[in-house]
Amino acid sequence: MKEESQQFYHDEVVTRLVQFSLIWAIVAMFVGVYLSAELLWPELDFGQFWLSFGRLRPLHTNGIIFGFGVSALMATAFYTVQRTSHIPLFMPKLAWFCCYAWQIVVLLGGLSLLAGWTSTKEYAELEWPFDIAITILWVCFGVVFFGTIARRKIETIYISNWFFGGLIIVIAMLHIVNNLAIPVSIDKSYSLYAGAQDAVVQWWYGHNAVGFLLTGGFLGMMYYFLPKMSNQPIWSYRLSVVSFWAFTYSYIWAGPHHLHFNSIPEWVQSLAMVMSLILLAPSWASMINGIMTVSKSSVKLHNNPALKFIVLSLAFYGLATFEGPMMSIKSVNVVSHFTDWTVGHVHSGALGWNAMITYGVFYYLVPRLAGRELYSLRLANIHFWLALSGTILYILAMWAAGVSQGLLWMSIDELGQLNYTFNDIMASMKPYYGLRLIAGLVFLSGTILMSFNLFMTIKGKKTVKVKPPTIVKASEVAA
Amino acid sequence: MLIDTLFHPSKIFDELSKENAETMASITRFAILIPLLPPIFSWIGGNQLGWRLGGSEPVFFDTTGSIVFSLFYFIMLCIGFISTVAISKWMAKTYGAKSSLSLHLSIFTVICLPLVVASMAHLYPDVFFNVLILVPALVWSITLLYKGLPIALGISSDQGMLMASSLVGWLLVAAVSLLGICVSLWMNGAMVILGI
Repeated sequence: MKEESQQFYHDEVVTRLVQFSLIWAIVAMFVGVYLSAELLWPELDFGQFWLSFGRLRPLHTNGIIFGFGVSALMATAFYTVQRTSHIPLFMPKLAWFCCYAWQIVVLLGGLSLLAGWTSTKEYAELEWPFDIAITILWVCFGVVFFGTIARRKIETIYISNWFFGGLIIVIAMLHIVNNLAIPVSIDKSYSLYAGAQDAVVQWWYGHNAVGFLLTGGFLGMMYYFLPKMSNQPIWSYRLSVVSFWAFTYSYIWAGPHHLHFNSIPEWVQSLAMVMSLILLAPSWASMINGIMTVSKSSVKLHNNPALKFIVLSLAFYGLATFEGPMMSIKSVNVVSHFTDWTVGHVHSGALGWNAMITYGVFYYLVPRLAGRELYSLRLANIHFWLALSGTILYILAMWAAGVSQGLLWMSIDELGQLNYTFNDIMASMKPYYGLRLIAGLVFLSGTILMSFNLFMTIKGKKTVKVKPPTIVKASEVAA
Repeated sequence: MLIDTLFHPSKIFDELSKENAETMASITRFAILIPLLPPIFSWIGGNQLGWRLGGSEPVFFDTTGSIVFSLFYFIMLCIGFISTVAISKWMAKTYGAKSSLSLHLSIFTVICLPLVVASMAHLYPDVFFNVLILVPALVWSITLLYKGLPIALGISSDQGMLMASSLVGWLLVAAVSLLGICVSLWMNGAMVILGI
């Protein structure tokens, strides 16, 4: 029988997932740009329900989170777990099933949203048939990942695997609990929870989806690829482990800060605020660990777009994880809630952290998977500046819009009447929305450049076959 | 010198890398303009034309309110500028760069000058107009940060890139903190009545 150590890593599935992730990035970001244009010119829906803001918006968020984000996370989890366990993937056919079936679910799910099927829960809009499919696929993902870890040749479970493992377990828990519902037809179900309880469960899900998928999962990427790219061990392994457990413990409590000043108990809101503030410590511990790792590196940056993207993503990670707890403070939230400041905050994380670290990882990964140099360094450098300027312009436009909205909505005269009508305020937002549209176009054009660059890198090449290293036990060496 | 800092920054950064006391002194004398000019422009614009926050009519603050606002703006800019210089000096050790205080003060004076010049937009205090003018100035300042830091501090472009990115991280956090502090103070009573 063939020894496992003589087999090759299963990287073909990684390549395919990267390709799917790129496709979803372009599609979902294009939808985002279209949505921002609709806010300026509402007639762009051409009177079609499926083109209306209400249907396209969940397509944008689901496409980014589940299409682009999860495909990238599956790709990097499969890639890293093999290398940190020194063994090929457990049940590779199941990994292929996850890869293709996930794309089908996202595609059909997206179409169902356009058709008006929705549970109305933010980031969990997909109706019950898709929820069941996602549950099955997520379990398959877990079987492949944990099965590989269970058969590892290295005693230690490397820190990136803890984050990926946390992602798989917590998202499964959140997804199942939040989507418990009674189906009444193929396209409609009603949540098991009612009223304020429904809201609390929804934001327990919503916030922790941000936490364990968009933060924890991507930290898993960072902890593997940053040391590899920097050619340095992680600055403090102990700090990474402490930050993982502190992050896992404190994140889970913070969800109700999305419900400040709503009909949930005051103490729940205050507890969420306090836990959100505590969350800053483990979040920044990972950022400091990343920055200190790369600062010790002697790797040249000028011909390394991958590392440049990851370094910049850490700066935006620092911003987003500081801004979030700050916005959970009730005296700040009273202004920021329901304004475009929140949209700016989400995008400082989504564009600055999630997208940029993924781009950095793809620039590192694709040439290695293809076994050739990146097609164009120049295009990658142009992409870097497009991504940076697009993100900053987006954030600034939304900060200005959000603060104006918040303060104007709260402005009242001596009789307690509103100084400004909602319509007046929204009409005055057009210039900011114009800036946001430009920012989105700039960022999207960078993503298209990268996709072309990576497509040309991989074109006509088969995924390189890599063998796990042979491990010789210390006792055998002594013998 | 002022013209050079705006239009020939590379020349200035080259000069700064020599740590010439005279050059640094001639630049740092402009440092006071950084926290001083924007509040003055903002005060003049706010009093003469009123702030256009996005609503239909301009908003005029009362005399005390406008002075308090300008003073607060000045204090915040002082804290922001000094803390950024201090953090840059502190970071310099990590990146193996020169860490003289006057050098870092000079570098950030040069980097901030485009923003100070652009703050003249406050004379016409329309929020969107200001965003439109200040964003390109910000891009210019960030470019100066990335290009100038390695030259002036005598480090490799790679280390300069890392240090500049770390400072961008700090500046973003500082900016959002300022936003949070202002909003928090506003909601806790330090507000100006938005009269029409």
